[in-house]
Amino acid sequence: MREHVLNSEGAWPSKKLRLTLLVSFGGLLALMVIAGLDALRLARQMHTQEEEIRQSFLAHTQPLLVLSSSIYIYNDRIQEYLLSQDPQADGLTAAEFSRLTAEINSTVSKYPENCQPEERALVESLQQLFIEQQGMLNPVLSWSREERHRQAWRFLNEEVLPQRSRINETSEKIALWNRHQLGATDREMFADFASLQARQTKMLAIALTAGLVLSFASILYLLRLGEEGQRRYRELAHSRAELEDLSAQLVDAQETERRSISRELHDEVGQSLGALLVEVGRLAASVPSDNAQIKDHVDKIKSVAETTVETVRNIALLLRPSMLDDLGLTAALEWQGREVSRRSEMEVEVQSSDSAEEIPEEYKICIYRIVQEALNNAARHSSAKNAKVNIEPTADKILVSVSDDGRGFDPRRVRGLGILGMEERVRRLGGIFTIDSKPGSGTTLKAEFPRPHV
Amino acid sequence: MNLIRVLLADDHKLIRAGLRLVVDQQPDLSVVGEADDGRQAVDLAKTLKPDVVVMDIGMPNLNGIEAARQIREIRPDAAVVMLSMHSDEGYVLRALGAGARAYLLKDSATTDLVQAIHAVVEGKSFFSPAVSKVLLQDYMRKLQRSGAEDSYDLLSPREREVLQLVAEGKSNKEVASLLNLSVYTVETHRAKIMQKLDLKGVPELILYAVRKGIIS
Repeated sequence: MREHVLNSEGAWPSKKLRLTLLVSFGGLLALMVIAGLDALRLARQMHTQEEEIRQSFLAHTQPLLVLSSSIYIYNDRIQEYLLSQDPQADGLTAAEFSRLTAEINSTVSKYPENCQPEERALVESLQQLFIEQQGMLNPVLSWSREERHRQAWRFLNEEVLPQRSRINETSEKIALWNRHQLGATDREMFADFASLQARQTKMLAIALTAGLVLSFASILYLLRLGEEGQRRYRELAHSRAELEDLSAQLVDAQETERRSISRELHDEVGQSLGALLVEVGRLAASVPSDNAQIKDHVDKIKSVAETTVETVRNIALLLRPSMLDDLGLTAALEWQGREVSRRSEMEVEVQSSDSAEEIPEEYKICIYRIVQEALNNAARHSSAKNAKVNIEPTADKILVSVSDDGRGFDPRRVRGLGILGMEERVRRLGGIFTIDSKPGSGTTLKAEFPRPHV
Repeated sequence: MNLIRVLLADDHKLIRAGLRLVVDQQPDLSVVGEADDGRQAVDLAKTLKPDVVVMDIGMPNLNGIEAARQIREIRPDAAVVMLSMHSDEGYVLRALGAGARAYLLKDSATTDLVQAIHAVVEGKSFFSPAVSKVLLQDYMRKLQRSGAEDSYDLLSPREREVLQLVAEGKSNKEVASLLNLSVYTVETHRAKIMQKLDLKGVPELILYAVRKGIIS
């Protein structure tokens, strides 16, 4: 049995496993929190990146467009100037040209350094166009109005318009590049988004897998725990039942043994001694009264025999009160009470009814032993003056109580073998055993049995 | 003079043999039969019609007390002398209740048996001195410890006379003629005695008388 318990101790899920599960749960939670935070961070990062890309796109395309339109305007102004008849406008036009030139130069100078070769080429071609236009304009500006008027159409047709179509070409290239740039940005962002998605999916998959594994492990753990608990409970119940059985058997064995020894003493030794006494009595009677010496001897033998008979009888009674068999429970309890009264300073009163004789033998023995133990305890330890034994069989119960007016004790602290024995005997028969006692206020022992159906 | 017919009942042959020798030594006594157990004792009492049955209290099949009760029912004339190992009043009271008139301890059976048989034949009671002693001691101890006054003092001299005669086994009629009273008056005295001494029935009354040493 003991070994059994020890074995199950080993099988009990270990502390280590519990710790592992706890840590795993913590890990899963952390993983999920990290994944969430990561997603947030990535989203924010993507947003910033998008902004950056947009900014850089703008930073590159805007000046390019500005440049191309400024050059176009410049070209326009040249056209206007060539065709203009207004003498007042001349001065203004020169100022306008220098303003435009300054503007274009500033745009070029402000143009971001970090540009792609394609872009750089576009900028350079625009610069080239501008330089060409400036080259075209310089002779025009020096022309007089008549010369200008005379040469206007030719110049327009030969220089300005082709220049214009080149500008248009370049502008188209810029627009194309623009579109291309936009597409590239989109692709870049899409790639970013895809990588984020992949990452999130990976995280999710990991968390899900971990969660699944953990849940599975937890369920296994729980199942094992439950099974183990059940097994332990069964074991406990089993060993408890075994123990009860054992103690019941012990009590039975003790009673049987006592009874057989008692009977042996009574039937064999007792009767032989009785016969011896009869013989000695006859011998004593037949000795002539004048033979004092033999009479004295015979008397001594008789006295020794009587003492022996008395001793054997007392032992037999202690082992098994023949009253219980010969006269019944009440008589046996009364006898027990008188025996205690004779030996001690405590007077015992027994109250019982005739119906106490109808209860089964094992109950009688149990009640007898409880009362015996209780009275002996009271007489020995409590200095009680009076004790009362009450046997009260009712329709469905048998109530037994033994109370004394002694000094009492604390039943929670004093728990001798005697009390345990009484408790065991009562419980065996399905009864309830209680001790009501307080230091200084006497003791009442109670046993309550369910009435057996005979 | 008629011989007194004695039936011996004890489950032990040795003891029976010893008792038989004691009885047979007396010229006026005769053992008419021996029984092994209570049931046989009842049967033999029926057929042998003994005057006295000497019986062990603890016998197999039917114990002495039950056997005594049955014998007294079948043959009220037969007197029972109970033999016992126990001097306790539980046994004595139940033996008396079953109709036994004498109660002897086995230790002293050989010494007292003849005297006891003669006593019961005369309708008197007899108790082993050791039994009387134990009963008296128990009574005195109880009285002393409880501090109660001796209820015997409550009885009038006439009641004491009636108590003794009833305890000795006399019927109301016999008591009445002995004391020159009417049977009715004796009955009244008896009821008063029982009430004053808190006794239930003749066995307790006899027991009381033995305790007080009124009868032996």
